[in-house]
Amino acid sequence: MRLPILIIALCLALPLQAELRYPLQPRQIAENVWLLEGSTDNFGPHNGGNIVNTGFIVTDAGVVVIDSGPSRRYGETMRTAIADVTGQPVARVLLTHHHPDHVLGNQAFADVPIAALAGTTELLREQGDAMAENMYRLVGDWMRGTEVQLPSEILAPGVLDIGGRRLRLLALRGHTGADLAVLDERSGVLFAGDLLFHQRALTTPNSPGLDVWLADLDTLEALPWKLLVPGHGPVAGDAAPFVQMRDYLGWLDGLLRGAAATGEDMNEVIQSSIPERFDGVSLTRYELIRSVSHLYPGYEARQLQRVDE
Amino acid sequence: MNMRILLVLLLVIRVDGLFAADADPLQSVMWDYHHKGLLDGEPYVFDERVKVQAPPFAEDARQVPVHIDARALGEDVVRIEAWADLNPIPRVFTFVPGEQVLPLVAIRIRVEQATPIRAAVLTRDGVWHVGSAKVDAAGGGCTAPSVVRAQPGWEDRLGQVIGGRFPRGEGSRLRLQVSHPMDNGLVGGIPEFFLNQAELRDAEGTVLASLELYPAVSENPSLSLELKGRQDTRLWLRDNNGNEFEAAL
Repeated sequence: MRLPILIIALCLALPLQAELRYPLQPRQIAENVWLLEGSTDNFGPHNGGNIVNTGFIVTDAGVVVIDSGPSRRYGETMRTAIADVTGQPVARVLLTHHHPDHVLGNQAFADVPIAALAGTTELLREQGDAMAENMYRLVGDWMRGTEVQLPSEILAPGVLDIGGRRLRLLALRGHTGADLAVLDERSGVLFAGDLLFHQRALTTPNSPGLDVWLADLDTLEALPWKLLVPGHGPVAGDAAPFVQMRDYLGWLDGLLRGAAATGEDMNEVIQSSIPERFDGVSLTRYELIRSVSHLYPGYEARQLQRVDE
Repeated sequence: MNMRILLVLLLVIRVDGLFAADADPLQSVMWDYHHKGLLDGEPYVFDERVKVQAPPFAEDARQVPVHIDARALGEDVVRIEAWADLNPIPRVFTFVPGEQVLPLVAIRIRVEQATPIRAAVLTRDGVWHVGSAKVDAAGGGCTAPSVVRAQPGWEDRLGQVIGGRFPRGEGSRLRLQVSHPMDNGLVGGIPEFFLNQAELRDAEGTVLASLELYPAVSENPSLSLELKGRQDTRLWLRDNNGNEFEAAL
């Protein structure tokens, strides 16, 4: 008699289990500064694209949200999580850059100003729909109802004062051509966006060049930061993410340069050995395949000369 | 008597078994169709000596690198046919390497969706040796708006070639990229306009290898070939509008 009841109970429980819910739990990383840390995995139906770090800062004039996550559902869950932490309303959303895992939660914040660098808005206008479609393909039903919501405000670099909280905004370029970094001057927390990856291979789909990116790292490291929040991977109180980024970018640049100089084909380059010291970095092979597609044509072109007559 | 029938039956089953072993390893619905259409239904084997390399997924569906290497078949190679099973324009190239050129081609292609990529290598005994790779893709590479045509002054660069020569043992690898939109006729309002013929020639003009191209090949085609020696070569190209281009490598 008990077994059938158990089976019926299980059947009732299954649909609940199948409901897609992001396990977002804000973690306080400094006074009034909160982090929502994603995994270092690739996009997949098992994680709904929650592979990204987002955050928020509570001020006397409302909450400043940094990045809205990979889907409408994420943005809505994030907003609920913010309301669980503070009674302050959301005052503004700042987007670090236009990649889908950072901006597709915008719909949940459509009633407040969403601000980004001018270049970010332009890139999102050009590429947003295609990126959103690809996200549906990669993570599936988590994306339901998600559409691109363009920013409503343009950010200029400089200090943004919200409720007496000074946020230093930097307009950089290395990751996508329009990358915002946000330093909270009071706490010393630096939201570096995807200019910093930590324990997760960096991505290069819109990078203007690895040299530009390396120069941005110098700019960021010189800031008076106390805690680094990378776009992907664990936060750090020391310079470890900078060290890892420089090492990885230098290796990647050398690999592509050397391969172009010896006339390797793309398929040979993507099979190159990856140094053991990057074993702890997730998705290196996957991202090497992508980076070769993004960057190798430029290295090849610099190696080849005009030969037509 | 019964024993003989049994033997004959066993033979038939054995032959059947052999045939089954040559079923498409990628189980593509298009294999039979392309076998009939592109290989004239001629005898074939799936052969691991024909190496087809492509990334597991297409990061850019308009520029998917494909590397085809049939050197393991030695001197017996007559011709190589390459195609992408599920493309609206499946054919990529037909390559006749000749005696001075290795049966190896690297090229970039467009894919419209996830698809098997094939290289069928005809040997002197009349058998096609088929190698395969599979590429996953978000797709749309064949119908995406032209990148070349969006760049001002592309007409002036038409037919420009950048290239280089890289030592490979006793021989040399030739790498080159040609400026050409390679319009495939699938983008609204733009008719087919693509490079369809290439020949690698020696200094005296003798043809060393010939290559027929189809508009599955990417815009601004990239190509790598390998020579057995170090001799000077010239590349001759022609598009379907009759424009001819030449480069010295």
